[in-house]
Amino acid sequence: MHLPEIDKFAHLKSPLHSWDPRVKIISISILILSIVLLKDPRVAFLGLALAIILVFLSKIPFSFVFVHLRWVLFFVLALFVILSLTVPGNLLMRLSFLSISREGVKLSLLISLRAISAVLLIFPMIGTTRFNLSLKALQKIKIPDRLIELLMFTYRYIFVFLDEEKRIFMAANSRGWVRKTNLFTLKTMGNLVGMLLVRSFERTERIRDAMVSRGYSGRLKTLDNLTLCWNDFFKAALVIAGAIMLSLSGWMG
Amino acid sequence: MRKIIRVRNLEYVYPDGTKALKGIDLDVFRGESVGLIGPNGAGKSTLLLHLNGIIRGRQGSVEVLGMKVEEKNLIKIRQKVAIVFQEPDDQLFMPTVFDDVAFGPINAGYSEENVREKVKEALEGIRMEGYEKRCSHHLSFGEKKRISLATVLSMQPEILILDEPTSNLDPRARRHLMELLKNFSLTKIVAGHDLELILDICQRVILLDEGKIIANGDATKVLSNKSLMESHGLEVPLSLAA
Repeated sequence: MHLPEIDKFAHLKSPLHSWDPRVKIISISILILSIVLLKDPRVAFLGLALAIILVFLSKIPFSFVFVHLRWVLFFVLALFVILSLTVPGNLLMRLSFLSISREGVKLSLLISLRAISAVLLIFPMIGTTRFNLSLKALQKIKIPDRLIELLMFTYRYIFVFLDEEKRIFMAANSRGWVRKTNLFTLKTMGNLVGMLLVRSFERTERIRDAMVSRGYSGRLKTLDNLTLCWNDFFKAALVIAGAIMLSLSGWMG
Repeated sequence: MRKIIRVRNLEYVYPDGTKALKGIDLDVFRGESVGLIGPNGAGKSTLLLHLNGIIRGRQGSVEVLGMKVEEKNLIKIRQKVAIVFQEPDDQLFMPTVFDDVAFGPINAGYSEENVREKVKEALEGIRMEGYEKRCSHHLSFGEKKRISLATVLSMQPEILILDEPTSNLDPRARRHLMELLKNFSLTKIVAGHDLELILDICQRVILLDEGKIIANGDATKVLSNKSLMESHGLEVPLSLAA
């Protein structure tokens, strides 16, 4: 079964893997922020190049990155088409009754580049550290506990949920149910998804019991062995310098 | 032997109005292993959840180690009464084995060094050293069951409660678990339908049905009583039937 494991390659060795997750998350978040604030597509290309370099340095296979990026690409493609056709401006091209504006293409290109770069940067940021350590890093940099708990339980139980989903649909298929484009399929799907939600809710109650019986009182406490060294700050300086350079290039146009 | 659990006239009603427990009286003594048997829906799990205050009855009293199960004693009681739930995916909610086994000791306020020591001891106790960094969702079902045990052993409880400990285990994993359980000198309460396991581990058996205690006595005597067992939807274990 395919499991959505973002940290599948966290065991590799690279400059990004050896980087302290706290500093890494902060530095790459700054870089992402600087890219999404760019206004010039030419500079956004530079941002994309920087993101690709970081993915390359992380040694995470591009095939793995692409598999996860494809949904973003679908979204970006849809956006590209819609914006190119709907944003008013100077005519770039006319296709039958459709007119494509220069401003529309520029805007969609800018948004696409920013979105792809930001998503690409998630891989060196999160994919190079085991997810539990990334969560501890987030806790250390004072991200609200509730959000961390939400992320942690989502990550822990997504696999259980997918297993349950597989079982529930297998049970339906084994009794002759076939997915079709009709009302019966929609109704059955609705029932199955509803059942999945009910089971998930029941599970949350059992998990709560297990937590409470081991002393949980509202705050998740964990131990960590995160240590900082000068190398971490050096890497942070490089990435933040890249972010500043991009921002300055954007301002200077 | 010293009384370690004392339940008197315990009643519990589910929110939908179903009476789950009807006037339960029960004593458990230190060092004892007690089997809790009964058909599905008899109230076994509900009774177990009362023993560390996860649910509380509308009537009656529960005392554990001389402490009443009430709000002010819950933290202490939960350190002493450990429950291993039937489904290991409910018990293992943290991303890694270390975090899961450390969860109880951290909540109990142990120092970092102490927590690491307790985790090491607990994993050694179930012969699963070296599993600290493993993700819970990557473990086999048998491994999950054993790690579930470690998650409560790290709290050094005095009473170990196991709800259906061998359900869904293959024979080898079941045998492993049985060996482990036999070696624990804690007070144990084992609920379930694996009557061979209960016969092997427990000296005393309590038969529960429709929220009431039907029989309470020597394990061999209760489990070999064919008419009693069959009238409550159970069967005499094969080793006693032969």
